[in-house]
Amino acid sequence: MAVVDLTNLNLPGTAGAISPRRRRGRSVASQVGRGIAILVPILVISSFITYSLGALSNSNPAATILGQDAATPAAVAHLDKVLGLDKPLVVQYWDWLTQAFQGHLGTSYFTGIPVSQSIAQRLPVDLSIAILAVILAVLIGGTAGTIAAVRRGGLFDRGVTMVCSAVSTLPAFVVGIILVVIFAVTWHLLPANGYVGPTGGIWPWLEHIILPSLALALQVAADIARQLRTSLVSVLEQNYITGARVRGLPYRRILLRHALRNAAGPALVILGNDFPLMLAGAVAAEVVFSLPGLGQLLLEAAQSRDIPVAQGVLLVVSAFVIVVNLVVNTLLNVLYRTGDGIVS
Amino acid sequence: MSKRTSIFGPRSVLRLPSAKIAVVILAAVIFLAIFGSALAPQNPLTINANALFQGPSAQHLLGTDYLGRDVLSRLMAGTRLSVFTAFEAVAIGFVLGGPLGIATVFLGKWFDFAANRVFDALMTLPSIFFAVAATAALGNGLVQAMLPIGILFSPYFFRITRAATLEFARAQYVEAAELLGASKLHVIRVHVVRKVLPTMAVTTAGLVAGALLTVSFLTFLGIGVQPPAPTWGGVLSSELDYLSNAPWAPLIPGALIAITVGACNALADALRDRTSAGTFAPVIDPVIKTHSTLQALEVANERQSAA
Repeated sequence: MAVVDLTNLNLPGTAGAISPRRRRGRSVASQVGRGIAILVPILVISSFITYSLGALSNSNPAATILGQDAATPAAVAHLDKVLGLDKPLVVQYWDWLTQAFQGHLGTSYFTGIPVSQSIAQRLPVDLSIAILAVILAVLIGGTAGTIAAVRRGGLFDRGVTMVCSAVSTLPAFVVGIILVVIFAVTWHLLPANGYVGPTGGIWPWLEHIILPSLALALQVAADIARQLRTSLVSVLEQNYITGARVRGLPYRRILLRHALRNAAGPALVILGNDFPLMLAGAVAAEVVFSLPGLGQLLLEAAQSRDIPVAQGVLLVVSAFVIVVNLVVNTLLNVLYRTGDGIVS
Repeated sequence: MSKRTSIFGPRSVLRLPSAKIAVVILAAVIFLAIFGSALAPQNPLTINANALFQGPSAQHLLGTDYLGRDVLSRLMAGTRLSVFTAFEAVAIGFVLGGPLGIATVFLGKWFDFAANRVFDALMTLPSIFFAVAATAALGNGLVQAMLPIGILFSPYFFRITRAATLEFARAQYVEAAELLGASKLHVIRVHVVRKVLPTMAVTTAGLVAGALLTVSFLTFLGIGVQPPAPTWGGVLSSELDYLSNAPWAPLIPGALIAITVGACNALADALRDRTSAGTFAPVIDPVIKTHSTLQALEVANERQSAA
């Protein structure tokens, strides 16, 4: 092998000698692979819990579908067979999971609409809110945290700290209501409820999602600001920052290229950890702003005890949480290349 | 035993001003939870068509809602359901997660691995969605709604107690006790449980805050309670439909929820400061939902023992 390496010395980038860039790419790929290896059992367990919910219910789906008059024992038994409800739980679960991976989540007991179709219809609502909320949270929290850290001990810093502790005790639905009261009821600036898809024009779309997103974003922004302030303060005290200043680099450049890059990790972690919180907030926002999203779908399903719908929504949402975690972990690894992803 | 800090001793949590305020607020809330419905100035369910959307007045200190019901009475009577169901969820989490977190350290590698994966999986389930989906399966009731929340709280207890137990079970005095012939049960009871309790207290206080938020959110969504029964979240959601009539009205139940949650959080922070239990808290753990917190802790322990 040593001979091969010697011949390749003058030809960087060809097979044998791996360029640093490619090595980094491989390490990221192996990180993602390791992450998936950990996440698959988690996904299996959590989806099993999700599926078992249906089995735990004492409801008799066949009887529910048939209605009271038609639910003769023979008809129920026949429908059980058609729906596969006479098989053992594990077999049922496996059928459901393999179907789910092909995009079939069953059909609603009551409307007969495929669950995946209703979810696909409502997912864009939550996605628009969530994406805008993440952008807003990073913008608001990042700016506030950075300024507070740079001017630590100052008036702005103390203000941010106070506002953050206040905001983090306010649940998203209360924040949402306050926003409605201020912007929609008092000032009439933005609509208080409803949803218009992006096909209906960019401004009407933004107009309808900006308040819900803000309601979601504020709590996460507060968490990000607090975390970023803490880590940025400690990074700014490091020797290499002093060194960079001594060498005469402009402060803006030090802050953006050296300090923020190293301080962003914990804030990114917060963003990942807060994601389930944002989903809960999305349900709140849907209710407060009457948006036709996944939360409403789930609430309707809960009221009518439409178990396939509830299971489908829960599966999709948990999958989102797991994927977001994977993305955050990978990003952290790319950012720090520590190998084990633990930032301390 | 004489060295144990008493509630009024110099190292007591209550010496911290924030904890004092928090305890006073929480005591008031618990008082309301027990006696609130008896002390309520008016019947929280009485409908008065002549007094809709009234502002605060001598007769109705916090005004009336869309059916003319007294908001103060509804909030006072609703306290019991909101607070006790929050305790219910935390108790379920405590019972499921705490003992397992201690036991898993002593039950071998495979049990530990399996238990960790199950609790990891539980953490990926978003609590609100899970609770609502559970009521779809189990029926719309409070017990049904808070059971899944309790189950989802168990990983927090599990992880905290497991991390703390790992730390204490390896201590030299435990080794010494084992050499002297102490049984495992004795070690767990005397050397582990007592040490783990302060950590558990911090987690409990923090999770009660989370549970209160969840309860008020679920009742806000209409999950778990039937409409006429008053709850904090229910009062909030009923105000929401009539914002144009009384835009300030939702702020009262909202503030009540926020203050109670804030008090729980302040108490948790104070407890953490006083017990130094926070060293186990997996606050910044980038892989919190995929790995166990043990890895970071083990690395730290190894570094410590190497130094």
